[in-house]
Amino acid sequence: MAGIKELQQRITSVGNIKQITRAMEMVATTKLRRFQDRALCSRPYAEEIGGLVARLSAVLGDAVAERPLFNPGAGERTLALVVASDRGLCGAYNSSLLRTVEAWRAQHELEVDYMVYGRKGFAYMDRRDFQIERFLEDPPLEQIDYANASITARMLVSEFESGKYRDVRLFYTAFESMVKFRPCNVPFLPIAADAFESDGAVASGETLLEPDAAAIFDHLIPKYLETRIFNALLEALTSEYASRRFAMKNATDAADDMQSELRGIYNRRRQEKITKELLDIVGGAEAVK
Amino acid sequence: MADALTLRVITPEKIVIDTTASLVTFPALDGGMGVLPRHAPMVAALDAGQLAFEAEGERQEMFISGGFAEVRDNTVRVVTEASEPASDIDVERAASAAERARDRLRAGRSQADGVNFDFRRAEAALRRALMRKLVADRSRRG
Repeated sequence: MAGIKELQQRITSVGNIKQITRAMEMVATTKLRRFQDRALCSRPYAEEIGGLVARLSAVLGDAVAERPLFNPGAGERTLALVVASDRGLCGAYNSSLLRTVEAWRAQHELEVDYMVYGRKGFAYMDRRDFQIERFLEDPPLEQIDYANASITARMLVSEFESGKYRDVRLFYTAFESMVKFRPCNVPFLPIAADAFESDGAVASGETLLEPDAAAIFDHLIPKYLETRIFNALLEALTSEYASRRFAMKNATDAADDMQSELRGIYNRRRQEKITKELLDIVGGAEAVK
Repeated sequence: MADALTLRVITPEKIVIDTTASLVTFPALDGGMGVLPRHAPMVAALDAGQLAFEAEGERQEMFISGGFAEVRDNTVRVVTEASEPASDIDVERAASAAERARDRLRAGRSQADGVNFDFRRAEAALRRALMRKLVADRSRRG
């Protein structure tokens, strides 16, 4: 059994760790709020683009399915974009995402190239010989803005158009609520023609189109894909910080529990020692009498 | 005012403008376009250039980097990647961006066959930079 001195040391070190995890929890909370705000601000744009795509595809009708990005590519392979985190200490965030990737890879052996965001994801996949085509680290994921997201989107599109790939998929963590984030695996390209739900706002014949539906549509589709990437990245970041906040909160709580438990033991031990010494003194005094 | 348009300029970062206007003009792909209240529903693809609107008799100008305009229910929704009021444009930055784009174009042209070089993108970047400058200059001159 640990002596009183060791107990005291452990109480102090648990206290130190608690301070650190609490600070990290607070940092994560602020950052989480910042990314949530950004996600909220980007929503009108995404909705507007999505709505336009839906309305125009209603105008175009079946012709939509003949647009180039709506058909599987010429190649055999699949390209997958994996969005993991740069830093650890975020609970099961990376491991549950990578588990999804692993489960999916088990069914598609050797036909997949990966592009990876996040050092943690890269380190994991590099060790397990995934075919990593590119590790996207500049700029770091945390400083992502729309311009950078659109560069990534364009890169995916041009890889797809190069004829090397049949389809492109995204692996990222979708944000559902502060305590719920779900790793997901969604197709990115080719675009499924039935992916757009028309909100019924279009009276196709009445809307003027400048210059014409097909031309607008071709301008619109890249933007649509860019917003999808941007949203996926923002959601992944939000999930990461929600997950980190959660993990750090748990750690702080656990440290709290541990500290009070240790303090209980320490107090009992101290009391025992005092009692024993007292008995000794009393016994000694008795003997002298 | 019974006859007024709602103008909303939306970028991925935020809603830049949400106001009422009596006239909105923007650069469609085939040339400038103006929208007055009670315009028929329309969707237009936009080029980089100047978005102007009149609100309460005052004319305001902004830069937009291209995108789309949708007119519906007396509302003009402009979705664009970047937009800023003419007074906020950083002219020097725009000038240096134009210079960079020109260099890229020159370098790309001298390369053999311009392999792997995206002329369209470099050109679009150049046009955006020049337009930004133009919009700023024009509004500053009054």
